[in-house]
Amino acid sequence: MNISKELLDILACPQCKQPIEPDLDNQELVCKQCGLAFPIRDDIPVMLIDEARKLSQQG
Amino acid sequence: MPKDFKNKVREQFSRTAEGYVRDSGFSGGPDLEKALELLKPTTDDLVLDIACGGGHTALFFAPHVRSVVASDLTMQMLKKAQEYISEEGGVENVTFREADAEDLPFPAGAFTMLTCRIAPHHFTDVPRALREFHRVLRRHVGRMAIIDTLLPEDPEIADFYQSMEMMRDPTHVQAHTEKEWIEMVTDANFTVQETAIFSKTHEFGPWARRAGLDGNRLAELNQYFIDAPMKVHDYFEIETFAGEVESYTDRKLLIFATRDDKKAN
Repeated sequence: MNISKELLDILACPQCKQPIEPDLDNQELVCKQCGLAFPIRDDIPVMLIDEARKLSQQG
Repeated sequence: MPKDFKNKVREQFSRTAEGYVRDSGFSGGPDLEKALELLKPTTDDLVLDIACGGGHTALFFAPHVRSVVASDLTMQMLKKAQEYISEEGGVENVTFREADAEDLPFPAGAFTMLTCRIAPHHFTDVPRALREFHRVLRRHVGRMAIIDTLLPEDPEIADFYQSMEMMRDPTHVQAHTEKEWIEMVTDANFTVQETAIFSKTHEFGPWARRAGLDGNRLAELNQYFIDAPMKVHDYFEIETFAGEVESYTDRKLLIFATRDDKKAN
């Protein structure tokens, strides 16, 4: 995944504006607070709420 | 932005992306030169270019700044912009994000400079986008240049403009007058420092076809121009030959504003 630390620092969840975390296995950027996973397509993060995958509730 | 309309915008620009990237009318120009003069970019600047389209604005500023994040609602457009910037070469500091101007995926104060050129007329909620611009710009140093087509003050000319743009491009929402822009930008807690107006002449055929207009719809739009009142012809400097519109000239407004965070009274 071609996402450097500096660039990750200037990305946030478009919904809650909190930091997001990379999920290298799934090529996604995850907002745990909103339970949303944003895909990365051709190295471009798709930071659209409607395009995000909803994470299933855990526990 | 409502989901259905957003999909319409993405569909429209996925279809027409190539034409926007290749259009020489978007690269360079006196509006960008003026924006450069006003924004005074430095190699410390972190720039966000909103609704980057073909990437012309991002590429223009990239050599002057530390980095540019180019965002657009349409993946196809971003890929074309990425291709264009890598072909043009010379810069390695532009990255791409698919993002909605009205729900920006960036933390508060992440950028020192913001540009948004010939795009806000596609936004369904400009005040909301402006609040987002304000949020992501850093306090005291944050500044932005917005450039968009100017809505004429005369209501009849403005009606013609809105109607013809919507005939050409179903994703055109609304252009605004200079007064409206100043109000909206000020309401978003920016300080408007300066405005400038530029004329831009469009070759009618390429301009209409760039938005994907086909034969019949092109003919209808041509007729709409021909039948327009004289004052519309005068304002837009419509040039015709043998019943065909050859060119027209509209005006682009540049708004230069800063984030000073003065307390509202």
